[in-house]
Amino acid sequence: MAGVYISYPFCAQKCTYCNFGSGLASTVLEAAYEAALRGEIRNHQWSWRPETLYLGGGSPSRWQGEGLAAALSELPGAPWREATIEAAPGEITREKARGWRTAGINRASLGVQSFNQREIARTGRKHTAAMAAEQVMLLREEGIRRINIDLIAGLPGQTAPGWNESLDWIEKLAPGHASIYMLEVDEDSRLGRELLSGGARYGALDVPPETAIVDFYETAVERLERIGLRRYEISNFARPGEESLHNLKYWRLEPYAGFGADAHSFDGRTRRQNAASAAEYVERHRSGLPFAIEETPACPGEERFFVGLRLAEGIPLDPRDARRFEGPISRFIAAGLLERQSNRLKLTPRGVLLSNEVFQEFLTQ
Amino acid sequence: MDPARIRNFSIIAHIDHGKSTLADRLLEITGALSQREMTDQVLDSMDLERERGITIKAHAVRLVYAAEDGNAYQLNLIDTPGHVDFTYEVARSLQACESALLVVDATQGVEAQTLANTYLALHHNLEIIPVINKIDLPAAEPDRIREQIHDVIGLDGAGALLVSAKQGAGVRDVLEAIVHLTPPPRGNPDAPLRALIFDSWYDPYRGVITLLRVVDGSVRLGQRIRLMSHGKSYEVEGLGFQSPKPVPCDQLDAGEVGFMFANIKTVSDARIGDTVTDDAIPAEEALPGFEEIKPMVFAGLYPVESHAHGELRDALEKLRLNDSAFSFEPESSVALGFGFRCGFLGLLHLEIVQERLEREFDLDLITTAPGVRYRILRRNGDVLEIDSPAKFPNPAEIETVEEPIIEASVISREEYLGEILKLLEEKRGVQKKFEYLGAGRVMLTYELPLNEIVLDFYDRLKTVSRGYASLDYHFAGYRASPMVKLDVLVAGDQVDALSLIVHRDHAYDRGKELIARLRKLIPRQMFEVALQAAIGNKVIARDNIPAMRKNVLAKCYGGDITRKRKLLEKQKEGKRRMKRVGRVDIPQEAFLSVLKVGAEE
Repeated sequence: MAGVYISYPFCAQKCTYCNFGSGLASTVLEAAYEAALRGEIRNHQWSWRPETLYLGGGSPSRWQGEGLAAALSELPGAPWREATIEAAPGEITREKARGWRTAGINRASLGVQSFNQREIARTGRKHTAAMAAEQVMLLREEGIRRINIDLIAGLPGQTAPGWNESLDWIEKLAPGHASIYMLEVDEDSRLGRELLSGGARYGALDVPPETAIVDFYETAVERLERIGLRRYEISNFARPGEESLHNLKYWRLEPYAGFGADAHSFDGRTRRQNAASAAEYVERHRSGLPFAIEETPACPGEERFFVGLRLAEGIPLDPRDARRFEGPISRFIAAGLLERQSNRLKLTPRGVLLSNEVFQEFLTQ
Repeated sequence: MDPARIRNFSIIAHIDHGKSTLADRLLEITGALSQREMTDQVLDSMDLERERGITIKAHAVRLVYAAEDGNAYQLNLIDTPGHVDFTYEVARSLQACESALLVVDATQGVEAQTLANTYLALHHNLEIIPVINKIDLPAAEPDRIREQIHDVIGLDGAGALLVSAKQGAGVRDVLEAIVHLTPPPRGNPDAPLRALIFDSWYDPYRGVITLLRVVDGSVRLGQRIRLMSHGKSYEVEGLGFQSPKPVPCDQLDAGEVGFMFANIKTVSDARIGDTVTDDAIPAEEALPGFEEIKPMVFAGLYPVESHAHGELRDALEKLRLNDSAFSFEPESSVALGFGFRCGFLGLLHLEIVQERLEREFDLDLITTAPGVRYRILRRNGDVLEIDSPAKFPNPAEIETVEEPIIEASVISREEYLGEILKLLEEKRGVQKKFEYLGAGRVMLTYELPLNEIVLDFYDRLKTVSRGYASLDYHFAGYRASPMVKLDVLVAGDQVDALSLIVHRDHAYDRGKELIARLRKLIPRQMFEVALQAAIGNKVIARDNIPAMRKNVLAKCYGGDITRKRKLLEKQKEGKRRMKRVGRVDIPQEAFLSVLKVGAEE
């Protein structure tokens, strides 16, 4: 079964840690973007009916109710088995939640990132812990009962007590799903660039050291497990049955169609990437150019390792791969990074943290 | 050509004082090049020369100048390399001339390098024609420079020509001065041929091409010639001169300058300073000055990819065809695999060779710390010359170690004196002379271990003097010093390419510093890595690189698998470029960090 991803790349502010192609909202651009997006969906040749839907961003929770509903009405497959909206705490109102429910949304992913007021303020976000908690309740009241909460380990100024405070809130709110992202340092975020260049802006000097981030992560694994949220993927935790069906498709190499700026698609053979910025996306729509700017043939034989091994269930190991990668597999098993159970290969807890070291060895090209 | 109408001259100038611009102007005015053909720095033809604004190879350009006295003169401009590494080549180029333009920047003044080359020119009895350039600049102080030329060099500064090569002002006066002040070539047109080789390079089609100054007799096409240093004979296949494009001719006469090719296979058979004579009627005595020049600075060159070893050898062989001052022999390192120990005239020479290998032969190289050749007297009476830390004997076998010493002269403004003296002190310098040159300038003469200046001396001298101080040096012999070998162990394995030979009193500091640098440069591994610096079995500094705790990608980016792959590929490529020693991946920068030990952060 297949999934649909729709990107709404606008936010009230650009967070310092954000490495997505999202930008600040602008009414004019948003209107043009909506039109382009509807066009892209309408012209899509469906070879399957989508089972899951994911509205990502950006902040799709900013999207005016009618526009969102109009875009979704272009999609086949309703009612979807799982339809998630990414929502920024502080942007969720009862009215919006009702509209989402009506449009077919049945799951919300809240980018809370932290429940500690000092940490929140330093990222440039405007919500409070109480606000986030209130909105979780509100969503549930309106019938959106499947909730995910995102936390980031490694925010500037984050301490063990602050981190535990956020985990306390997860316990209290008891969502069925949580994502724990360790801060990524790369050229695509302001904070990342600052850290790479050794600067001091955006709280770069107060980013916790690697060992602290690992400790935060391990604490989270332990505490979430205790409340029944099992790690089923490197960054994702869920009560059994509450896993994100849509995201599982990525990791199991099932097909998905992506619409909007910087959206990615995979039809089983080819991976496509749309124009990265909203402005460029709109411009391509205007001039009648295809939205995709990059196409690469997929290579499932290799991808299954660096994508599939992210899952706690691991991957089935066929005898051919077992022979082909005999060296690295036995080396990583000896080093305690991989384990082999009957015919499945999995990362150990330590292997999870060093997973890139493992994955590299399965790239052959 | 009647020798009375020939003028052979060169230009002495400090970097950036305008030598190339003046040369371009001379070419333009004499019509050797039309304005359309002028690109900046016509004579610096290698990319490297243009980029660095220095001349590496010599050039000789023939200009025809219609002087104000109504006669046409053949002017040969011999452009010399302009760096302290190439003193021998400079001396031979000067030997081919009768005069030198001394170009001094009107805003800067005389520099150590200029001074050294001027003395070299005076030593070869050249007429010095002072030229003060850049008089168009607002900061120009021609009077101060005139005084300086008088006080520092002892030349008549009052007669110095005022020029703006950039704007073309005063350039005609320079041409007139060349004609009237340069003595015509002395030499006997009827004597047996004697011609001085002042540069040579390898051309894949013609074999070695030599630049010659004919002193006595003449050289003709088809003539059987002999090189006097080794006695081999060849037939002249081609003669000509550069104008600046090559112009073939049948004959070069006494006093003339030009090029020759004679199916000579390697530049080491046509060395700079050698004398060409007639094979049938040879001259009795070679021209003076020929020396076999020896490399002074040594470093290991290793391919990053071990399979490129053969390519590196081929490249070194090709470079050597063109550069007889450069030497190499196979060497192997536990850490770096198979490579070559290479000898260079100096640090610039090393850099040039390294850059040419990377650019012209597309090789990725690791260069080990440059060092010098030590002379070691062993307890058993043997004398050993070593140019690599790997060959340093066990301390118990050593009676004494001698290291090469240079005599360096530094010219600077007085205000930077304190810092410069501190630097010279730190580099184990011994003061020989201290002179005031007037107008707030001083000249220091020091004896320094060559080992101390191969690292970062020149850069630091420039830094502490805000770019003002200039340096010249020459080899002054060997001196006994308590040198020790400092080894580095990574995760218990000795990494031979990180070994250093240092003065005993510096060993502790250098060891600590090296370990600190390596700790920053070697990425965390999947296990803890111990770093140690040791002399023999005695560990003098240690630290640990903690184990890597995470290398993990958090997000899934809405299904962006391609991005993940790219990131993993980048990490994998990064590792491929490292060298694995034992279980540890060591990046190239770590090997280069040895170069910086003893340098300031």
